Amino acid sequence: MRSDRKLIQKRSQLTAQAKTAASVLGKRMAYPKSHNPFADDDEEETTASRSRGGFNFDDDPAESRMTEAERRQRHLQQEVMRTAQSAVDSSNRSLGLIYESEKVGTETAEELMRQGEALKRTERMVDNMEQDMRTSQRHINSIKSVWGGLVNYFKAKPEPAKPPQRDQPTGYQANSKLQDALSESKQQEDRYEASHPNLRKLDTSGFGASAASNDTPSNQNGYSKNRHLQAAHEKLDDNLDEMCSGLSRLKNLGLGLQSEIDDQDVSLDSLLNKVDNMDGRISSTNRQLKKL
Amino acid sequence: MDNTGKEKEAMQLMADADKKVKSSGSFLGGMFGGNHKVEDACEMYARAANMFKMAKNWTAAGNAFCQAARLHMQMQNKLDSATSFVDAGNAYKKADPQEAINCLNQAIDIYTDMGRFTIAAKHHMTIAEIYEAELVDIEKAIAHYEQAADYYKGEESNSSANKCLLKVGLYSAQLEQYPKAIEIYEQVATNTMDNPLLKYNAKEYFFKAALCHFIVDELNAKLAIEKYEGMFPAFSDSRECKLVKKLLDAHEEQNSEAFTEAVKEYDSISRIDQWLTTMLLRIKKTIQGDAGDLK
Repeated sequence: MRSDRKLIQKRSQLTAQAKTAASVLGKRMAYPKSHNPFADDDEEETTASRSRGGFNFDDDPAESRMTEAERRQRHLQQEVMRTAQSAVDSSNRSLGLIYESEKVGTETAEELMRQGEALKRTERMVDNMEQDMRTSQRHINSIKSVWGGLVNYFKAKPEPAKPPQRDQPTGYQANSKLQDALSESKQQEDRYEASHPNLRKLDTSGFGASAASNDTPSNQNGYSKNRHLQAAHEKLDDNLDEMCSGLSRLKNLGLGLQSEIDDQDVSLDSLLNKVDNMDGRISSTNRQLKKL
Repeated sequence: MDNTGKEKEAMQLMADADKKVKSSGSFLGGMFGGNHKVEDACEMYARAANMFKMAKNWTAAGNAFCQAARLHMQMQNKLDSATSFVDAGNAYKKADPQEAINCLNQAIDIYTDMGRFTIAAKHHMTIAEIYEAELVDIEKAIAHYEQAADYYKGEESNSSANKCLLKVGLYSAQLEQYPKAIEIYEQVATNTMDNPLLKYNAKEYFFKAALCHFIVDELNAKLAIEKYEGMFPAFSDSRECKLVKKLLDAHEEQNSEAFTEAVKEYDSISRIDQWLTTMLLRIKKTIQGDAGDLK
């Protein structure tokens, strides 16, 4: 998928940044290319960044001097990085999906509004038709017989149909629901924050580590990973925050859509009744006309 | 097999109907209830047209409907005439777009005469869509969408009016008529931002207006963004607003790389569409004459 490739590019950019950071502090290569499963797609990016970073390959021979334990440690750290990175990637994808859903939701909302207006218009027209039918019925009565005409004279004039009290904007009803939904989602958000400290703890440790590494010239690989990890976790944090707000927006949108649909359901039912009545009246008028 | 038979039948009907019309014109026909004959002829034309439709001979069908419509006009049946013209337009749509537009225009005239603006607006939209898709005449499409929007506004169908206005804005911006596009987007955005159901899209419209401002002049864009944030606080949280701010910064520093970077980041989460790409490319050109590739 194109979005995945983009994410892959982003990820390699992140790794490239990490590598430049590493080189600035004069470290050995943190990621031998062979270990990086995604490197094959974006050779140019990594090579370009490497030339920019100016890696010293002279340090490579030093690697062989590492002990078994250190090698294992590095391997584990790389694992951690990989998992963190994939978490960031998947959160990016989820964020994209949330925004897509929001877009679909907003388009649906607009269509619904249009539909609602069309329904109102139709109802108004049906009321007009009813009005006209009553007048024509009176005319037919007067035509049919003189007696009918007299009866008409005494019958009350058909009142103009009351303007339907539909001007109560459906928005208001949605509004109160939205208010409740908003306060509810705020509570949700607080609960989300509470679950955050897990990540936050890691971040602060990352922060502490990087603060220290700034001063010391000689460094182990651990610090670079922490900074990298910290960046990944920050990104994850941001993404999660955005996802949180996006989801609450989606929820509100959904609730609003629901209330609008409910209103339209009601007006559809009443419209159905009116049209059925109208149908009956028209056929009876037709029959009367034929008899004339 | 069946269809060619239908077509022959249809042609037969047309010939019969023609004869009827001619005969009703003569004095004797007029004496013996010429109207009756014309009505019959109308019906025959309609049936013939339907048969042509079955045989997929769209031009002939459109032609038959047009004839029927003219006869209805003669008999002062405006409504029937208009519906026949609409049928003719639909039939012609598949074969001869120009002819379809003619028929639809005639139908619109009748409807506006009768005061049925909603339906006239709907047909304006159909015509505009034909111009958009088949004849690719954007100026005329804009004109028709505008007309449709005006009619809808007159009939208090604001959502439909907004839909047409948005299309007008889209195409005006493409044709570089930025002040018009800006005005439309701002108007629609301010209208929708209060509605609890539609406000989720208001940020989209503010974003588009801001982009149009940007192409005209960067300072305008800055002022516009501040104004929008004041009017609609939720706008400042949206990713679109952040994107525009980043683009403004990149523009100030004349840094096209940062520009591309920001666009890529936005694109990685929500895909950029055709219109947006065009606008962003135009903005990018103003940064430094290099026609960089956005993707």
